[in-house]
Amino acid sequence: MATETNQLRVRLVTPDRVLVDAMATAVELPSKTGYIEVLYGAAPLLAELGAGDVTLHGADSVPTRFNVSWGFVEVLPERVTILANDALLPSAIDLPRAQEQLERGHSLWSAAGDSAEAYAEANRVLDEAQAKLASAAHHE
Amino acid sequence: MANVLDLRRRIRSVKSTRQITKAMKMVSAAKLRRAQDRALAARPYAQRITSVLASLARRIEVLDPETGNLRHPLFATRPEKRILLIVVSGEKGFAGAFNTNILKASFQFLAANEDKEIDIEAIGRKAREQMRRRYPAAVFVESTEENPADGSPLTRRARSRKARVEVTGDHPGLLEKLTHDQVQSLADDLIARYVHEEIDACYLVYNEFKSVIQQRIVVERLLPLIEPGKHQVTEAIEPTAEERERAAQAATSSGVSLTPEDFAEADAEAAKFGTAEVDYIYEQPARELYNGLLPRYVASMLFHALAESVAAEHAARMTAMDAATNNASDMIDSLTLYMNRVRQAAITKEIIEIVSGAAAL
Repeated sequence: MATETNQLRVRLVTPDRVLVDAMATAVELPSKTGYIEVLYGAAPLLAELGAGDVTLHGADSVPTRFNVSWGFVEVLPERVTILANDALLPSAIDLPRAQEQLERGHSLWSAAGDSAEAYAEANRVLDEAQAKLASAAHHE
Repeated sequence: MANVLDLRRRIRSVKSTRQITKAMKMVSAAKLRRAQDRALAARPYAQRITSVLASLARRIEVLDPETGNLRHPLFATRPEKRILLIVVSGEKGFAGAFNTNILKASFQFLAANEDKEIDIEAIGRKAREQMRRRYPAAVFVESTEENPADGSPLTRRARSRKARVEVTGDHPGLLEKLTHDQVQSLADDLIARYVHEEIDACYLVYNEFKSVIQQRIVVERLLPLIEPGKHQVTEAIEPTAEERERAAQAATSSGVSLTPEDFAEADAEAAKFGTAEVDYIYEQPARELYNGLLPRYVASMLFHALAESVAAEHAARMTAMDAATNNASDMIDSLTLYMNRVRQAAITKEIIEIVSGAAAL
């Protein structure tokens, strides 16, 4: 049962380093197919990560919100491990660059033509840029 | 006979050389420590990717039982006719036999695979220079043809192979500032080539580096993936005991630890990722998970190799510069001895002249 005393161990790992290793009561994750919130005792799950914000609730450490893009997450009843390709603090997001990325995504999208692959790639770029912009806006 | 003044000048010159080699050694030691830290920081992620992939491969067969197709083209093995060889050398010289050994191992590999077509990707300036000198660059011909669907022009890039061994690319500056993004794009390129059947296998020649005394040059097969989580080392050249001892001496004199960092505990923790003895719910179908995981896995293997090679290069330079500093010190000692002898001889000669002059009076 999820109670105040039952805490999840949350780890956020990027290729460069271990960004977070903390206890939290709940964690919100952007999976590829939409946000999920994980509480203590969740069923074991392995999912691909999309672009968006990871938010830790009831964590003892600040900061609690990170912008992540792509990767994997493993959920176990008492442990959540997030393997992100890229993770940033919302305050570290480079707004002009994210804007640029958004424009690049749009141009890729319109240039994609009939190729499904190009569309997927354009959507990836767009998703990432939008997630970054939203995350930064939320921060301000 | 050289006079005292000349000798003094020579000693001074050797002394300044010694100062430079000593400084280079210290700089290399600092860089080595940084390279080791970076390799260490990348470890948790690489370990987790590897363990989740291994666990996925254990649970979900690589072959789809319903269709009989492979779940990912990277698992496909073909007879090796075209090989991609990635040579990881150093960026700079003054590193003892480091670059020579890497190149020697690559040429041995090329000689052993005489009947195959080989593409070379050179990483590091030294490999690039040598490979470029020996083998021609690959030529791509662009042709435009009409798209059968709507008649719009379609550019196609075709390879026209002129020689058995060709250099398809180099990556200047990649090692100087090793970033995951760059390594990922290199890995994506390799994967694309493998999937499009431009190559049947991908080998990597690099200097493996566990610690200053635990290192060797290995030829490792990167693709196809036969068993995720295992390094497929096909050849290895171990350093001699003498080389190892010299490296150990250099390391102790510049304060670099000899034992590999203790990451047994962290590794054990990381190895648990995605491998718990429970039935996972997989949010995506296996094929998609493999699609997402494999490029990251290949990139992390590649990053690991590059990071170790960078550390090994600095270690080799540190060792070489330590040896150079010692040699300079020896030279200064023997020159000083010689100079003193020459000076003494001159004094003795003068005394004899005075004494014999006085006796003649």
